[in-house]
Amino acid sequence: MVRVEDIKKEAKKALEEEKVKYIIGYEKGANGVLPIPAFIKKPEDIDRIIWDPACVYNLSRFLLDEKRSKSKEKEPDERPVGLVVKGCDSRAINVLIQEKFINREDVYIIGISCENTGVLDEKKLAKKLKGKQPEKTEFGEKDKFIIKTKDGKIEIPAEEILAERCLECKANFPVVYDVLFGEKVKRPLENPFKSIEKMDSLPKEEKWAFWKEQIDKCIRCYACRSVCPMCYCDECVADTISFAVTADTTAEEKAQKIKWIEKSPVSSENFVYHLVRAIHLAGRCIDCGECERVCPVDIPLRFLNKKLEKEAKELFGYEVGFDPDQPSLVSCFKDEDPEDFIR
Amino acid sequence: MEKILSKKSFPQWVKKLSSYTIYAPVKKDDLWEYDVIDKPESIDFDYPNAVLSPKKIIFPQREILLEFSSSNEEGLQVKEILPGETPSVIFGVRPCDGKALTLTDKVFGGDFQDPYYWNRRNSIIVVGLSCSIPPSPDCFCLSVDGSPHSREGLDILMTDLGDRYFTETLTKKGDKLINLAKNLFKPPTTKDKKDAQKIHVESEKKINRQIKATKKIPPKLKGMFDSPFWDEESLSCIRCGICTYLCPTCHCFDINDEVSSSSPIKGQRIRTWDNCQFPDFTMHSSGHNPRPDRASRLRQRILHKFQYFVEKHKNYQCTGCGRCISKCPVGIDIIEVLDKVRDYGS
Amino acid sequence: MDHNAYIPRLAKLIDIKEEVSGARPIKTFRTEFFIKNDFSFRCGQCAMLSVFGKGESMISISSSPLMKDYLQFSILKMGRVTSSLHEMQIGDLIGIRGPYGNGFPIEDWKGKKLIFIGGGIGLAPIWSVLHTALGKKDDYGDITLIYGARTSKDLVFREELEELRKKMTVHLSVDVEEQGWEEFVGFVPQNVTDKKPSPENAITVTCGPPIMIKFVIQALEELGFKDEQIYTTVENKMKCGIGKCGRCNIGLHYVCKDGPVYSWAELKKLPQEY
Repeated sequence: MVRVEDIKKEAKKALEEEKVKYIIGYEKGANGVLPIPAFIKKPEDIDRIIWDPACVYNLSRFLLDEKRSKSKEKEPDERPVGLVVKGCDSRAINVLIQEKFINREDVYIIGISCENTGVLDEKKLAKKLKGKQPEKTEFGEKDKFIIKTKDGKIEIPAEEILAERCLECKANFPVVYDVLFGEKVKRPLENPFKSIEKMDSLPKEEKWAFWKEQIDKCIRCYACRSVCPMCYCDECVADTISFAVTADTTAEEKAQKIKWIEKSPVSSENFVYHLVRAIHLAGRCIDCGECERVCPVDIPLRFLNKKLEKEAKELFGYEVGFDPDQPSLVSCFKDEDPEDFIR
Repeated sequence: MEKILSKKSFPQWVKKLSSYTIYAPVKKDDLWEYDVIDKPESIDFDYPNAVLSPKKIIFPQREILLEFSSSNEEGLQVKEILPGETPSVIFGVRPCDGKALTLTDKVFGGDFQDPYYWNRRNSIIVVGLSCSIPPSPDCFCLSVDGSPHSREGLDILMTDLGDRYFTETLTKKGDKLINLAKNLFKPPTTKDKKDAQKIHVESEKKINRQIKATKKIPPKLKGMFDSPFWDEESLSCIRCGICTYLCPTCHCFDINDEVSSSSPIKGQRIRTWDNCQFPDFTMHSSGHNPRPDRASRLRQRILHKFQYFVEKHKNYQCTGCGRCISKCPVGIDIIEVLDKVRDYGS
Repeated sequence: MDHNAYIPRLAKLIDIKEEVSGARPIKTFRTEFFIKNDFSFRCGQCAMLSVFGKGESMISISSSPLMKDYLQFSILKMGRVTSSLHEMQIGDLIGIRGPYGNGFPIEDWKGKKLIFIGGGIGLAPIWSVLHTALGKKDDYGDITLIYGARTSKDLVFREELEELRKKMTVHLSVDVEEQGWEEFVGFVPQNVTDKKPSPENAITVTCGPPIMIKFVIQALEELGFKDEQIYTTVENKMKCGIGKCGRCNIGLHYVCKDGPVYSWAELKKLPQEY
């Protein structure tokens, strides 16, 4: 069992010894069971840190903001940022290192193992509680979660309310860390692509009808892109006219920029956005599931990314986020790569 | 006027409204949204609140303003494309969303009446449903001059009394709608009125969250423009668009030309929702951005809703629906922020 | 208001003059409405120019309301819409909607001395009010123009400026030494300090790059000008032009409706977010 006091002790030490600039962890939110990201600068504030089954966020997303604000400072503080990560989150860090977006020394990784469970899915929990509001969640013994409502505590077997991606977890303890809490227990995973099997087997027309209905719901809030640690492009294909403009950009450059997608949330533009994003994440997505969790209209985005993850594995034997030194999928070529599509 | 409609008769009333396009909350997968109804029997009022408010019917996310085209004979032609004034009814509007319509009315009215907004607004009849229990654990309508049985912005307010609806008409449009099925409605008994009153009073006690002393917030905000408070509060913001797109009172939009043929030129000028939380919202062509960071954008959102709008229109630009709190990916909670504002510095 | 404010009226380009060439070109356009209408405006107001297929751009009207034959716009090539405008020929059609904004309160300035201070393209919004004042010269005291640009090639309305010298005082400047240049050499704020305009019974209007405005206001304050005597125009990104899209606000003001003209006294009270 992971004890949050151990985590706090380590984090406090790192702050006291000034080894890190600040620690990003989880703290209690004002409402509901989900925590909120905590940015802790002073050792005295360390008690804000919590660890429970509701710690779903992928905090490695905040390394992007850290890098951006550092690049604007004249004399940046070169110390690393302390980051509390789960197994999936740590793979994101490996990808960022692999792509040379950050260096290993920029982050002090406080790794926490999910042991045999994982994090919960808010919607599954709501269904289980049948309308009762959960107030607090805790890890229990024997792979159970303890949920506290105003009527008392109930124990639910973790499997029943685990997030979908936890059921297909490849790394339930961090694969890169400076310090690790919890035991390195590997969850058995027979079929890593079980969730898309049904979708894969559908005939083309049904697949199209399904996705058209889902993608039509999209309101282009870009939450999926904003929450993804891999979406760090300064100029995204969805907003080419805006971002990378400085005082030196000439009028011609601005006038000639191609607008890849219109702002209108219509089928065609939405499809281009989602499909291009999925392809840009091929070989980079670590299936933290945040995109699907944050979508306000419940588009099952994990399916798109999972499909490409399956292709990457089957065609190229590629697995994301375990080895920070491997070349990126789309920018390398091996002699063994399949060639049957070349005629 | 006040009337009683039995729940059994409700589908019959809707059937009588065949000359109107009917919108009501519809469940798709696990989420509710307002959509056109074909079968009156399918209207189900046992729902929390839709993800997108009925604002999207009156001020849609995408709207054509005009069409332009060029031909050899006629040269460049510009044609105004106004939405038709299709008579419609929206059922099941929560009082917070109804009140939000009065706020967007202020924005799209004034010196320049926005014909796209008003064509729809004037032809839609808004039938509200009071909240016997709060639709969301994050509701706080009472703290922003609203209530779970507020009548603002609505043409009719329905209250669920178990086997019947207490139905109050608030405008002539509401009267007209009830008169189309006069025989289905009965005058209320004293007990009916008492029951409705009781539900309204009880519903106010069930609202979970509140901002204490909201009145103190606008004057406090006035002095907080340059405060470092906003840097701290915006640390976790990931600059998506959920809070503003889901908000029933937000109204910012963008205008873009979409070209279907460049020579000869043919295309449309389209208005779409836009978002003050996107980094390029205020960016000038020169690259200068008056709101370059998340702190300034969060500050803009809070100040606009709780200070600028109050000074201009004497209303908070927030009706306490709680959507921004429930759906924020990183749990930024507007009630928390406002509580901290009120107590800042003391 | 019956007319749909989002629909532009078609207008023909009847004259195009290249004021400044090079990397940051400026052209002056004169337009005539396709269908005669009662478009009337106050000096300082702006109009939304439409290039169909590209978009719209809010440009200040640089001709005076006294000129009934055409509307004049001086436009710096900056991005998509303005680049398209720069490629247009005489006879091409654009859309114009407006006028928008609050305009200069020129009626309040009767009897006062007027000092116009501009830099670069900033002379364009001043041009309208300057010519309106000249057109009613008896209503105002002495009119002075202090104007400068990076080099003599970057000065706009060059020939008209020479004509103006016959009717009023004109002080020009360039930022750095130039062969053949006999007037002041230095930044516009330095020229203001050099020419020492008196604040007595005077109103100043200053337009130009934000950094120039900042130092001009400083120079004027040092000369004794009060905040109510200093006027400027503010720029912000705009889309609707009618105070609805929520983009151009500074505090509770929409620059497209409550601005772009502000006195320094008013502007100081608004949040410094522009």
